[in-house]
This record gives sequence, structure tokens and C-alpha cells, in this order.
Amino acid sequence: MKGKKWIKAVYPAAVVALIYLLVTALRGVGIMNGYYNQVLMFAGINIMMTASLNLVNGFTGQFCIGHAGFMSLGAYGAAVVTSMLFKNTDSVFVFLLGLVAGGFAAMIAGMLIGLPSLKLKGDYLAIVTLAFGEIVRALLRLVKPIGGARGMIGIPGYANLGWILFFMALTLFLLRNLIHSPFGRAFIAIRDNEVAADAMGINTTKYKMTSFCIAAFIAGVAGGLYAHVISFIQPDNFSFTKSADFLVYLYAGGSGSLTGSVVGATLLTILPEFLRFLADWRLAVYAVILVLVMLYRSEGLCGGLELPFMRIRRQELYEEPLFGKKTKGKGEQA
Amino acid sequence: MSLLEVKNLSIMFGGLCAVDDFNLSVEQGELIAVIGPNGAGKTTIFNMLTGIYRPTSGSISLDGEDLIGLKPWQFAKKGITRTFQNIRLFSNATVADNVKMAHTMHNDQGLFKCLLRLPSMKRSERALDEKVMELLDRLGLADKADLLAKNLPYGDQRRLEIARALMTEPKLLLLDEPVAGMITAEMEDMARLVPKIRRDFGITIILIEHHMNFVMPIADRIKVLDFGKTIAEGTPEKVQKDSKVIEAYLGGGYAKNGNAGS
Repeated sequence: MKGKKWIKAVYPAAVVALIYLLVTALRGVGIMNGYYNQVLMFAGINIMMTASLNLVNGFTGQFCIGHAGFMSLGAYGAAVVTSMLFKNTDSVFVFLLGLVAGGFAAMIAGMLIGLPSLKLKGDYLAIVTLAFGEIVRALLRLVKPIGGARGMIGIPGYANLGWILFFMALTLFLLRNLIHSPFGRAFIAIRDNEVAADAMGINTTKYKMTSFCIAAFIAGVAGGLYAHVISFIQPDNFSFTKSADFLVYLYAGGSGSLTGSVVGATLLTILPEFLRFLADWRLAVYAVILVLVMLYRSEGLCGGLELPFMRIRRQELYEEPLFGKKTKGKGEQA
Repeated sequence: MSLLEVKNLSIMFGGLCAVDDFNLSVEQGELIAVIGPNGAGKTTIFNMLTGIYRPTSGSISLDGEDLIGLKPWQFAKKGITRTFQNIRLFSNATVADNVKMAHTMHNDQGLFKCLLRLPSMKRSERALDEKVMELLDRLGLADKADLLAKNLPYGDQRRLEIARALMTEPKLLLLDEPVAGMITAEMEDMARLVPKIRRDFGITIILIEHHMNFVMPIADRIKVLDFGKTIAEGTPEKVQKDSKVIEAYLGGGYAKNGNAGS
């Protein structure tokens, strides 16, 4: 029992580290080229986007379809910090500062849009978030200092696979903890029955807002990473098509399951690359695969399922802490 | 001073007066039943007492504090919680989580503690879990703690709604038709459970019910509504003999034929 717990605590981190080492090794011997590496980086970013969207759509039961809007604010926020404010400083701290700035830019936008619109439900909220995504895109096209419609070029390529895997793992770790906390339970209560949640003393507006802001922050950081992978961003990169991609990853993977977000985002980011041999038929086949997934598993590939380390069971509260002080049992004397 | 003081409560939906001039004064520890035919306005009263509807006129005060205009979650925070006639559980969460969700407003763990799952947050979660399990044990649901709420049998779902409402630590518990749709055995269980809850938790209860056999033995006082108006009130014995009540329930002819009373 104790050994199992030890494995459980360490192996998610080990898996992420292993992926990193494996890719580095494969690149070293030339099996994997820079292109595949970039696809993997996009997969990592998409996992962050999908998992954060999952917090709003899957766990809180709201319907946000403008998630790319938050991503673009994060991308621009981070790019402004690294390639304009600290243009001549080449440091990891500038990069991290940029990501945090991007996260906050998205979060503030999330707050501004959330305050008036979270009173809306279902389809009506969806329309507002859709409009939000488009408004952000339209506004970014108008701001000349950040390139307007032409976009920003020459963003330093700070982000590499290591950073992206790190932030992806951190996102999943924090979201898992959050979902298995009083906050996460309040989100799920709102999703399952808002009237009852309200009657049980849950301030639904406050918790919806919290969920929305955290999701926006993560999307902002993911956008910052994205900007520092491709070095060139323009408002049209973050159109509704992009938001729709994340929705597809989310529902194909299974909404309400973090494992589902990882599986959905990874598979559907990599799948189109595997289908390249089909040339023009690629997107048609991709769409057919999606239809088949939804037909045969309408709850998504991992709907209702969660890997053991993405879940915290009630019973684990009674196990002794892994790294904590050993509490003296009756038989033990120091 | 009485715990709950409701004065001249009325609500109009368009031209329809669903509840007209409802008055109720509830003492600490009382068990009061509100009865009446379908459409008499009983659930509407509960919706006003929990902030879901805002009354057109009248006042509601708990412990002398005016509650009109507050939101439903604020009513819960002040100490009034309820169960629902049509069960409203958090169906995709486990039984234990359903009860824990009702503890949200008492949560003192901040967002960052929860994100990082710090040791103090784990300790608080464990204390909460122990509390929840004790409550579930008292309501006979402890062995089902890890099932999803939607997979519980009907009677257990009703119990879980009560457990969830109790977790908010209410002063006043409103039960909306707690035995609706139950078979006789389940109803007898509930008839034992409600007085037990009242005794063990020392709380005040108002319940809505159709089943006279269920209400008569457990209620201290009964209020009878018909078409939004209070037509009778008093002890169960008194209400049973009231001719207006018999008329509302059985039709005018029955009362006039002299079958009222014992």
C-alpha cells in the first residue's frame, strides 16, 4: 500500500521527464526533427488550453466559446513584455515575467467580461463569449504599436519543449488540486444544479467568476508560450476557428475529465500530422474520425474516467503523509 | 422573540395572487406543517422563504433580522435551508461530495492553499470528511458515501437531500414534501427520521406535505392553505375537525352532510 502511494506521487512527474528525455534523445540521433518537436510543443499548449476550458465548460457547466480570445491577450501581453519592454534583456526572468503578465492580462479581461455576463446562462453566455473573442481580435487589429493587423514579429523564441512540459504539468497539477477542493466542489455543484447550489449557500456568481478567471489566466500563460514558440503572432491566429478547435479537443476527450483533456488535445493535435499522407483528404478524414468518436462515445474518449493520479479519493485523506513527519504509533517508541 | 416571523406575505404573478396575506410565527424548536391541495401556494411560500421568489409585499425576518431582498445563498447563510419537492441533488458527484458541497459557505481555506493542497488544507479536508461521514452515518447513508448521487434509490436520495441541508448548519429547515412518491415503508422511516433530526440537531422545521397520516403525529401546529389563503390553523386535532379544511380537501358536500369531525 505504501509503495503504491510512493509510485503514485512520483510517476506523473517521471512520465513528463521521460517524455522530455526521450524526445531530446530522439532528436539527438536524428530520428525526430524540429518539426515533430514543434508539433509536440503545440500539443502541450493545447493541453493547457483544453484543460483550462474544461474548468469552465466541463466542471463549472458554463459554456465559453471564445477561449482563443484569452489566449491572444496572453500572447500579446507576454510578447509586449519580452520584445518591447525588455527588448535588450535576454533572460529567463523576462520570459517568466512575460508569461505572468500575459496570464494577468487575460485574467483581467476575464473579470471584465465575467462580471456582466455570468448572470446569463447556457446559450446566451455562449453568444457573449463568442462576441468577446471577436471583439478582442478586432481591437488588436486596431492597435498600431503592436503591429495592428500585420501582427508582431521577432518575438524571442524562449519557449522550448522543456518549458512547455513544465507548465503543462504544473497546470494539470494545480487544476487537479483545485477540483478536489471546496472550490472545485462548488464548481461541480453549480454545474449539476445551480438552483440547489444557490439554496445550499454557494455564492454562484463568485464561484463562476473564480472559475472563469483561473481558466483565463491559464489560457493567457498558454498564449504566452505559444507566442514564444512561433515568434510571430497576428490577431487572426486567434479567431473563432481556434476557439472551436479547443472545444473539439475538450468534447472529444471528454468534458469533466482532466485525463480527457490531455488525451483529446494530444491525439487531435498529432492526428492531422499523421494524416498528411492523405494530402487534400486530410481534413475530411479528420472530421470523419471526430464524427465516429462522438457517435460511439458521446461522452468523449475519457468521459467519466480519470487516471489515478488525476483524481484524489476521499480515502487518501486518512493515509499518512509521504514526506511529512512520522506520527508515532502505539508500538513505536522513539 | 420567535425564530421566524412572517407578516402579510403576498406574491402576485401577473394578475394571479398565488399567496395572499400569509402570516406565520415560528418558535425555536417547533415543527410546523403547511398543508393544502395542489396549487394552494405551499411551494411558493417556500420559494419566498428561501429567496428564490421576492414577495410582492410583506416581511420575513429571522431572529429579528429582515431578509427581504437577499439572494438565495444569503438566506442559506442566515440559516434557512431547504429540500426540494422534485429532488435536486448534484447528481454526478458522490454522496459524500454532495454533502461537502453544502459546507462551501463555511470553508475557510483560501484559493492558494487549495491550488497547492498544502498540509493545513489537507487537515481541514480530513476534518470535513470525518464530519460528513458522521452525519451520513446518522442518516444511514455512510456505506453509500462513495456512490454517485444519481445511482441511489429514491428513498435514499430524499435522505441525502436532508443530509445536505443539515450540513449548512441551518437554524430553520424547510422540507418540501419529504415523502412524495414514497412507499409506505419508506414513509414510516421518514416519519421516524424527521422528529429524530429535530431532537438531535435541535433545529426548527417547517414541512409541506399531502399525506395526513405522515403529518398528524409529528407536527406541533398545522397551517392549511387553499388558493393562496390560510383557511385554518392550529393543533392537528383542531385542524382535522375544521369544516373549511374538510371542504377544501373533500369538497363542499362532504362537510355539509355532517360527516365532519369525529
